[in-house]
Amino acid sequence: MSEELTYEQALDKLEETLKRMESDKLSLDDAVKAAEDAQRYFRICVQRLEEARKKIEVRPEPTE
Amino acid sequence: MLKPEEAQRPYTVTELANEIRRELRPLTALLVKGEVSGMKRGAAGHYNFSIQDGYSRLDAVLFADDSRRVTTLPEDGQVFIFRGRVDFFAKTGKLSFIVDQVEFDDIGKLRARLEELKRRLEMEGAFDPKRKRRLPFLPQTIALLTSPTGAVINDLQETIWDRYPNMGIVVYPVQVQGAGAPMSIARALRRCNQEGAADVIVLARGGGSFEEMYAFNTELVARAILDSKLPVVTALGHTSDRTVADLVGDAECRTPTEAGARVVPKKADLLTSLRERRRRLDREVERRFSQEGDRLASLRMRVVRLLTTVVQRPADRLARAKADLAKLSPVHQIERRELALREQQRRLHAAVTLKIQASRSRLAATGGVERIERAIANRLAESVRKLESQRQRLVALSPESVLTRGYSITRDAVSGAILRSAAETAVEQRVTIQLGSGRLAGRIEEVSP
Repeated sequence: MSEELTYEQALDKLEETLKRMESDKLSLDDAVKAAEDAQRYFRICVQRLEEARKKIEVRPEPTE
Repeated sequence: MLKPEEAQRPYTVTELANEIRRELRPLTALLVKGEVSGMKRGAAGHYNFSIQDGYSRLDAVLFADDSRRVTTLPEDGQVFIFRGRVDFFAKTGKLSFIVDQVEFDDIGKLRARLEELKRRLEMEGAFDPKRKRRLPFLPQTIALLTSPTGAVINDLQETIWDRYPNMGIVVYPVQVQGAGAPMSIARALRRCNQEGAADVIVLARGGGSFEEMYAFNTELVARAILDSKLPVVTALGHTSDRTVADLVGDAECRTPTEAGARVVPKKADLLTSLRERRRRLDREVERRFSQEGDRLASLRMRVVRLLTTVVQRPADRLARAKADLAKLSPVHQIERRELALREQQRRLHAAVTLKIQASRSRLAATGGVERIERAIANRLAESVRKLESQRQRLVALSPESVLTRGYSITRDAVSGAILRSAAETAVEQRVTIQLGSGRLAGRIEEVSP
């Protein structure tokens, strides 16, 4: 599910998770889980950044 | 009859036709203004029509090649300014005006039509910001709809790859000017949506005059942009007015650089912001663990301190009790006394020995053995007497001896407290009375303080 996140969605989730971790309201267990989630969102972001492949393709108008 | 001077060799038709063409050659790059009628498209893509001004009429032709370059295609009943040359077609014997450019004669009328289009689109809500599609934050591939040649496409590509080195680009070459432009642009927009190769479309052109921008003010292009599911960004260059395409597009830019920046985030910025978050994550994990570590350490300290007190306090008490007990112990006291006694005995012995020796030597000197012996005997007798008197005093002081002399001790029967004053007692109080020998129990009948 989370693997289908766009860069922007993953970044939002990462930020939200970080904020929760920084708020100090999490139990240790939840904080560990949040850290794992954050790592996953981080990886998705990096993956999305590298997914585009530099290429230029020209699609001419089909001739009638 | 032909006259002799006229009896030269006749032209062939072809020769005359060529002669006519030669004569017509100066009539080139002409501008002619007239109204169009009989517009027809031939099989080869040429357009045939007539240009007239109410008195005269000229056949005109717009070849297929030129028709793709002209600003607009002529329409029946409209007045245009045509540029071209006059030519004679030997095959058909017809004189034609060969059009290579068509200009609007009445820009005012054209603008009025454009305003009417804008009003209609406005009424439909086509310019409503709420209708506009959101640009993707990070596209994977960008479709560029522009002329395949020229600076615009280079600038776009450069800006995009400068900002995002691995961004995918798909180019849909379109005519951005001329009569074929609206159709070409509309078709490319539809193909973009059908093929789905890109996430966002950039429609670009390097600016131009009102006439040159004509295609971007047509309803055909406006409708194609409105129908697009993919967001469309316009970058039509610096123009005097915003085109209809700008108004219905989802984001409006002017230059290719601006469009590139609008469509593609800077990869370096994204990486920086990711790195910053990575640092925050690491710091947070580190902080949390060190915080938990501190908490554990402080808990451990508390446990150790508590344990020490828990164990130490009774141990101390035990040790103190043991010491107290030892001090109180009769065995200990006897020991101590024994020790003291022995010490005194030793000292006495030593003193006596010393004295005897001294006496002996003095005796040896004076010869008064009997005196010494007597003196010793006297001293012994004295000591025995002192001892006896002390013993008697001791006996006399003991309560028992006092009681033997007729005194008695009265105590409260309950508390066992000794009664020293009648005031301490009350009638009916139970008392015990200790005598020199035995004891009595009684009850107070009268108190006289």
